[in-house]
Amino acid sequence: MELKKALFNISALADLGEEITSEKNFQDKLQSLLYVVMGTFLASKGAITCQEKSGEKIAFASRKGFEKLSLDDIDLGFVRAAGKNEPYRIANDPALMTAGVEIITPLWVRNEFIGTIMLSRKFTSEPYTPEDFEILRVIAHQIAITLNNRALFMNLTEQLNDNRKLYEEMRRIYHDTLQAFAAAIDAKDVYTRHHSQRVAKYSVAIARELGWNEHDVEGIYVAGFLHDVGKLVISNEILNKKTPFTKEEMEEMKKHSLLSYKIISHIKFPWKDVEKTVKHHHERPDGTGYPDALSQGDLSEGAKILALADSFDAMTSKRAYRDKMDLKGALAELSRCLNRQFDDKIMLAFCRVLDKEIRGELPKPNILPHLDKDSDLSVIPALLEGIISELSGDGRDV
Amino acid sequence: MNSTPFNVGSRVVEDVAVIYPQGYLNNLAGEGLVAECGRYTQSGIRKIVVNFRETDLINSIGISLLLHIMEELQTAGGTLCFTDMSKVQLGIFEMLGLTKYFRFFPDENGALQFLNAAGE
Repeated sequence: MELKKALFNISALADLGEEITSEKNFQDKLQSLLYVVMGTFLASKGAITCQEKSGEKIAFASRKGFEKLSLDDIDLGFVRAAGKNEPYRIANDPALMTAGVEIITPLWVRNEFIGTIMLSRKFTSEPYTPEDFEILRVIAHQIAITLNNRALFMNLTEQLNDNRKLYEEMRRIYHDTLQAFAAAIDAKDVYTRHHSQRVAKYSVAIARELGWNEHDVEGIYVAGFLHDVGKLVISNEILNKKTPFTKEEMEEMKKHSLLSYKIISHIKFPWKDVEKTVKHHHERPDGTGYPDALSQGDLSEGAKILALADSFDAMTSKRAYRDKMDLKGALAELSRCLNRQFDDKIMLAFCRVLDKEIRGELPKPNILPHLDKDSDLSVIPALLEGIISELSGDGRDV
Repeated sequence: MNSTPFNVGSRVVEDVAVIYPQGYLNNLAGEGLVAECGRYTQSGIRKIVVNFRETDLINSIGISLLLHIMEELQTAGGTLCFTDMSKVQLGIFEMLGLTKYFRFFPDENGALQFLNAAGE
């Protein structure tokens, strides 16, 4: 019989291990652990308690019975002063005795009090034996580690959530700052009001169509917002001039992309190449752009996207010296300047996005809302179909 | 090894509820057995037979759940009988000193006859 009892105890420890390592949720895991303990010692009632974060109280983590026990009434100092993970019989705590708690085991991991295991008398009314205490000590140690691991995990999760909130807050501040920059540019040049926001949105739409990941999409959005920040340094007389620029004025205007680059290159962006994208948004595939006269092979995809988005918005917006172009005219102009000023691949992506927006296939359109509400869109799908067909290689001979 | 899915079936024979646990009685799913017994106790039935014909394994969790059923039935003044237990299962109950608290029968008919006779 002793051998059988020893085997039962060993199998109870195996049950304990199986429950501790199970993938069930923590509450179910604790309930199972409590059942293992109660079943092993034939206890009618049982509870596992955890120390609260304040360190001053314990709370039920799992229990069966002991409904009338108020943990506030327990002399916790006495429990803590007992041996670590050492079960002892209750002899001097009226609250515990009245509730029917017979054995209590303070749970400790290293020097940290974790909680307790409480057990009632045995179902058989037999006393707990020294062997029972030995087994309970082992079980208590395992449960203490389980509870401690859980507490550590919860702390980490809490910290992670705090960091996530902080990151979101910083991100919001970041975007607010970008908007403030864009507003400063708008304030200088009333004709380009909201230009930066629109260029940012168009660029995002093109980048997504090209399959960019969301991190890089956010980068091009920021580049779109900041691409004209250098205009803050250009004089108001030139920016708001109603007649064509002189050669000198044009040279002055051309400085803005380099100025934008110089201003934002002091910022350490979490996205790659924002400053280079901004610097090169007036470069052209034919090598006649500025400031570096780069050619097709040296231009990043981001710079090409920004160039097209910037030009498209400029064409479809009113300027001091000209009226805005309608969508048909703007598409014709972009097509005319393909290869020289704009990249085929970017133009194809842009036309595909526009086509999807017109067909209502995108949940949130980015381009259409900013176009003239009186624009006649009826001819656009056919126009886009022709451009898409040609650029995608379907209609070279058309 | 955890468990095969645990199910509980039952039927009423006159004033006796016969419960049929199926699968391993070794995890929280076994609370279904407690709930089924509790349902009958609450409806006024005081005689319960648990037939273990289709239960291969009872571990410490299972023992705890069965003790819980027994306590509830004792409180209600009822009788709990176990039938069709394997030799190994019976050996665990003997070793734990529980045989004097439960009534064991080789089969369901024996338990029903006992309960009928006890009720007369």
